[in-house]
Amino acid sequence: MENIISIQILNKIPEIKRVCDAVADFNRQHSLSEKIIFTFHLAIDEILTNIISYGYTDQNDHNIDIHYSLKKNQLKLKITDDGNPFDPTQAPKPDLKSDLEHRKIGGLGIYLIKNMMDDIKYSSENGKNTLVLTKKCDYK
Amino acid sequence: MQVKIEKIENIYIFSIEGNLDSNTAGDLEKKLIPVIDPNNTRFILDFSELNYISSAGLRVLLSAAKKLNQFRGKLILCSVKKDIKEVFEIAGLLPIFPIVDDPEAAAQKILQ
Repeated sequence: MENIISIQILNKIPEIKRVCDAVADFNRQHSLSEKIIFTFHLAIDEILTNIISYGYTDQNDHNIDIHYSLKKNQLKLKITDDGNPFDPTQAPKPDLKSDLEHRKIGGLGIYLIKNMMDDIKYSSENGKNTLVLTKKCDYK
Repeated sequence: MQVKIEKIENIYIFSIEGNLDSNTAGDLEKKLIPVIDPNNTRFILDFSELNYISSAGLRVLLSAAKKLNQFRGKLILCSVKKDIKEVFEIAGLLPIFPIVDDPEAAAQKILQ
């Protein structure tokens, strides 16, 4: 069975679904748990939404590359874009404690992913941002 | 995402089906937020057919709760799947959104 998928999309919100669906199909083909399917759906959705919504200062089309792989029992999601440099691993912790009136919702997406993944690494090189997320799974 | 809206006596029940994400959150926002006013302050959101929620979905729910708070209203979630409940937990939203097992329990709680 193929253990890696690569997808290239344009910086448009409706494109996100294509990536989520392809990764969910991959996870189901490998009999991974519903929990894993949910977690990677969330990670892809949140990261791509951030890149597409805030990553570009021009109105041009840009490509975003997504590689998703399974090796032994480790899943790896790698996302590369040519938007503004942004390191989500350094994002401040969101407001989790204020009462309803004062609660702010910014930064929750990244915080959710940090909690659900085993590791997240960011690098910026030659005008490209690369984010690599890894998580162990029960694949044998 | 599909939304079914019912009004029983003075309680609105929104049954949300599918995925609540950056693609669909705006649609729920258009349907839910304008309905909230001083005369419509009791809302049950039935998540039994909701498979997925992202921070974009949480943002809409928080806006609804904030607007309801101005009118001393209530918003209760029911039939929430485990993975979705975990998202609320990590996001620190369990103190803000009461979650009960089923629509009957939600109706009881909203009338308290």
